[in-house]
Amino acid sequence: MSRLDPERVNLFDAEFARCPQHLYTEMHSRCPVARMVLSDQPVIARYEDVVWALRHPEIFSSEMEIQMGLGTERPMIPQQIDPPAQTRYRKLLDPHFSRRKMEALAPPIRAHANQLIDAFIDAGRCEFDEAFAIPLPCTAFLHLLGLPASDLGLFLELKDGIIRPHKAQPDLPFDQAPAARAHSGKRIYDYFRETLDEREKSPRDDLLTALLTAEIEGERLSRNEILDICFLLLLAGLDTVTATLGCNMAYLAANPEQRRRILANPALIPGAVEELLRWETPVTAVPRLVKRDVTLSGIEIREGELVTLLIGAANVDAERFDDPARVDFDRARNIHTAFGAGPHRCLGSHLARMELRVAMEEWHRRIPDYAIVPGEAPRYSPGIREVMYLPLVWER
Amino acid sequence: MPRVRVDAAKCVGHGRCYVLAPDVFGEDERGHCVVTSEEIPAALAGDARRGAANCPERAIEVEG
Repeated sequence: MSRLDPERVNLFDAEFARCPQHLYTEMHSRCPVARMVLSDQPVIARYEDVVWALRHPEIFSSEMEIQMGLGTERPMIPQQIDPPAQTRYRKLLDPHFSRRKMEALAPPIRAHANQLIDAFIDAGRCEFDEAFAIPLPCTAFLHLLGLPASDLGLFLELKDGIIRPHKAQPDLPFDQAPAARAHSGKRIYDYFRETLDEREKSPRDDLLTALLTAEIEGERLSRNEILDICFLLLLAGLDTVTATLGCNMAYLAANPEQRRRILANPALIPGAVEELLRWETPVTAVPRLVKRDVTLSGIEIREGELVTLLIGAANVDAERFDDPARVDFDRARNIHTAFGAGPHRCLGSHLARMELRVAMEEWHRRIPDYAIVPGEAPRYSPGIREVMYLPLVWER
Repeated sequence: MPRVRVDAAKCVGHGRCYVLAPDVFGEDERGHCVVTSEEIPAALAGDARRGAANCPERAIEVEG
């Protein structure tokens, strides 16, 4: 039994971030539609309700740029735009993020994973988040967009400026966070504006150049549309994979019998990636704005409410998963929604899966046996469950 | 012969089917599922069912 209250959910509670699964299970049996502590907004926990909402953007809208307050000047494309306008953007963007295209990025990501490991393997220990989980996805992003690897530090600073402005300014007053985000947002637009100017003058074989020349029904994207796509890629593609890498490694460090299964049979890694996405669901929740009154699991939800779709809870729902508390890398049927569902399915899901698989393969090939430093405990951030402190040791 | 049907209106490109059962399912340019032939050899029925069972959109049906 969790000490957390399943009827009054606090996504920012440290215990929820560390181990949310018990709370999810209590929600399924007691309150499939709960309320958020403080804001009193609905929180949806059942798999069927969550996917139904995700598949009905005309009721559960993603058009909430203002409510999210992420330092943007316009909605991010395609995330904060609903069909039918969103469908046009997805038709243009999906081919650039297909499984095939993302697999082509695997060799440089594999090489970079090994460079990162080279830097700490002889020390016999590392803090995983800083040493591996943060830099790897950022490098993948730079590769994808065709940006110089030397911009790594700048990109980490820019996305943290939006996602966690308190990282750079620990004593930033709460009411000044929006202004800090807007400032970071402006820097993001400026950076991409300059880079797009360069690509216009000297085109290259990269995604930014492709966006400059791409057409939807015979029309090119406007400069603002391209900027609104770039803003999303920066915000969505970095933290999420960082968090998933951390959750996976924290799980495998704490469950050596599961780790040994991977070591004995590395072909299990793709299945392990899927199952840990289900069990850990690092992006625990996605928000939606309700466009008209609707009833889910017998509970009325009102137009104008900002609902939280708890995809982490959906992914451990016993109505949809056999023995959901069992972590099974061979699970025969895994319909997890860690990448969402419906028309807003994560554009970067194939990129994320490739990064996760390559990282797991290279790490376990080179550092098969590792553990959390005795006497220490991983520390999870709320919302997106990044393992912000994950001290690992291994035999040198 | 077993038959596989994909509802293109439901598919959003999770790609689970063509990763888990590449002999039955293919992908188009957007990464959405394509099936070249609805009728499949009986030997592939298990693969087809695995792909269908793992589709988060429940867009795939296998008969026979």
